[in-house]
Amino acid sequence: MIVADKKPIEEIIDEIKRHTKILILGCNECVTVCESGGKKEVEILASALRMYFTNNQQEMLIDEHTLERQCDHEYLEEIRDRIDQYDAVLSLACGVGVQFMAEKYHATPVYPGVNTCFLGATEQRGLWTERCQACGKCILASTGGICPVSRCAKRILNGPCGGSTNGKCELSKDLDCAWQLIIDRLKALGRLDDYETVYPIKDWSTDRAGGPRKVIREDVQV
Amino acid sequence: MSLKSKLDAGEFAILAEIEPPKGVDVTGMVKNATNVKGQVDAFVIPEMSNAVMRMSSLGGAMILQSKGMETVMQVCCRDRNRLALQADILAAYACGIKNIMAVSGEDPSFGDHHQARAVYGIQLTELLEAIQMLHAGRDMAGIDLNGAPEFEVGSTVNAGLKGEALEIELEEMNKKIEAGTRFFITPPLFDIESIKSFIKIVDYEKTKIIPTVLLLKSAGMARYMARNVEHIHLPDDLITRIQKSPDKTRECVSIAKEMIGTLKKEGFSGVLISTIGWEHRLPEIIGSKEVSG
Repeated sequence: MIVADKKPIEEIIDEIKRHTKILILGCNECVTVCESGGKKEVEILASALRMYFTNNQQEMLIDEHTLERQCDHEYLEEIRDRIDQYDAVLSLACGVGVQFMAEKYHATPVYPGVNTCFLGATEQRGLWTERCQACGKCILASTGGICPVSRCAKRILNGPCGGSTNGKCELSKDLDCAWQLIIDRLKALGRLDDYETVYPIKDWSTDRAGGPRKVIREDVQV
Repeated sequence: MSLKSKLDAGEFAILAEIEPPKGVDVTGMVKNATNVKGQVDAFVIPEMSNAVMRMSSLGGAMILQSKGMETVMQVCCRDRNRLALQADILAAYACGIKNIMAVSGEDPSFGDHHQARAVYGIQLTELLEAIQMLHAGRDMAGIDLNGAPEFEVGSTVNAGLKGEALEIELEEMNKKIEAGTRFFITPPLFDIESIKSFIKIVDYEKTKIIPTVLLLKSAGMARYMARNVEHIHLPDDLITRIQKSPDKTRECVSIAKEMIGTLKKEGFSGVLISTIGWEHRLPEIIGSKEVSG
C-alpha cells in the first residue's frame, strides 16, 4: 500500500488559513490502513482545526467527508454537487488523490493533509516500513523475495557493501542489511547458488528516466 | 584579457564551443582550440550535451586551461548530486577555471544511455545559489571552506520565446540574476527579428546577453531545424540561400559570420560560436573581418 504520514498541523493551518470554508476529504484505501487519512483521521483533524480557529476567533467552516478512493473518477464524482460550497479542499489522500482531485476540480484549491512516504507494509500497528520503490522492473524472483532496490540504502544489486556488519546496515544498528536478509532467505530456500549469479547493470529507464510513467493495457480498455 | 575583464569593459566577447571527446584522445579537441587560441576569449566546454556520454566538462576545461586557454566549464544537475557538484566546482577553481555556466541538462532519454537514472537532486536556480554560497566561503551545508572560489557565472536564457512563455522565462532569468548570474547564453539565433520582444524587455544594465551562432552545415540541416527545433526561427530565405549557393559550406560560414556581425552592431555582449563537429571551420569564422574587425 501507499504509506503516508500526517502533516504537522501548523503546516496545514498555514495552508488553509486564507480560506473560510474547507472540506476535509479522507480516503478509505491505503491512508486508512496506515491511519493517516481515513474517516477517523478526518474527524480528529477537523476537531483540532475547529478548536484552533475558534480559539483564534477566525471564522472557519470545516466539513468532513471520506471517499472510497480519491484515485478513481467515479468516487471523486460523488462530491461534484457540493464542491462549490467550499473555498478549498484539504485532502488526506496520498499525492495521487490530491492531484487527481485538483485535475478534476480546476477552480478549487486542493491542499495535501499528509506527506506521502513510500510503498510499504504494516509490520505492526503504528509501524510501517518500505518494501517497494516502484522501479518498474521487479527482480524479486532472483533475490528471494527481498528487494535490494527499496531495502538497501545504496540500492546495491550484487551482494552487500563493505558497511554491512553482523547483518546490520552501516546507516544504523537498527536497520537490517538487505543483502544479509537476501542471503539468509536464499539459504532457507536452498537456492544459495542464485547468489552467485551476477545481476546486470540495472535499467533505470523503467524507473523515472524519461519522465512520468504510464501503464497502458489495451485488453482492459473500454 | 580575461572573459570577466572583457564583459566588465563592455567589449564584444568571442566564445567558442569545444566538445570534449568521447574517449581519451584529446588531440582533435586541443588542435581545434589551439587553431583559434588568442582569438577566442574563452572556450565553452559542454557537459555531456544531449545526454550523450563523453569526457566531462571539467576534464575538457582543465586540458585547455593547462595549455593556456581560458574556458567556461558547464555544470549540470542531471548527473550529479549536491556533493559531487560542489566538489567538482571547487576542483575546477583550484585548477584555474574562472568561468562557470550552470545548465539543466537534457533527460537521459535524449542521449545514448537511456537506462541511466537522472539525479536532479537540486535544480538550476539552487545550483546558482550554491555557487554564490561557495563564493561566500561556505558550502551548501553552511560549513566554512578553506579558501573560496570566485567565478564569473553564466547560465542560459531562451530569448526566442513569445508571449506568456517569454514572461515566465524573464521571471526565471531574474531569479538567476538574483542568484548571481552575470551572463546568459541563448539558443542558436538565425534571425535577430525573432528575439525583438526579448531585446525590448531585457535590462542590459543588469546582465550580459551572449547569443549562440550555430554554423549550419547544409540546407537539409537548416530545414530540419526550422521544422523540428522549437523556439528557433530559421527564415526560409536563409534555407533558399544555402540551396542556391554553388559552395554550400562557404555559404553557411558566411551566414554565421554575418550573424556575428549583426550581433556586434546590435550591442550584444558577445557571441558563442557553436560548430558541432566542424570546429576546424572556427578559424575561417573568427578570422573574418565581420568577427575580429
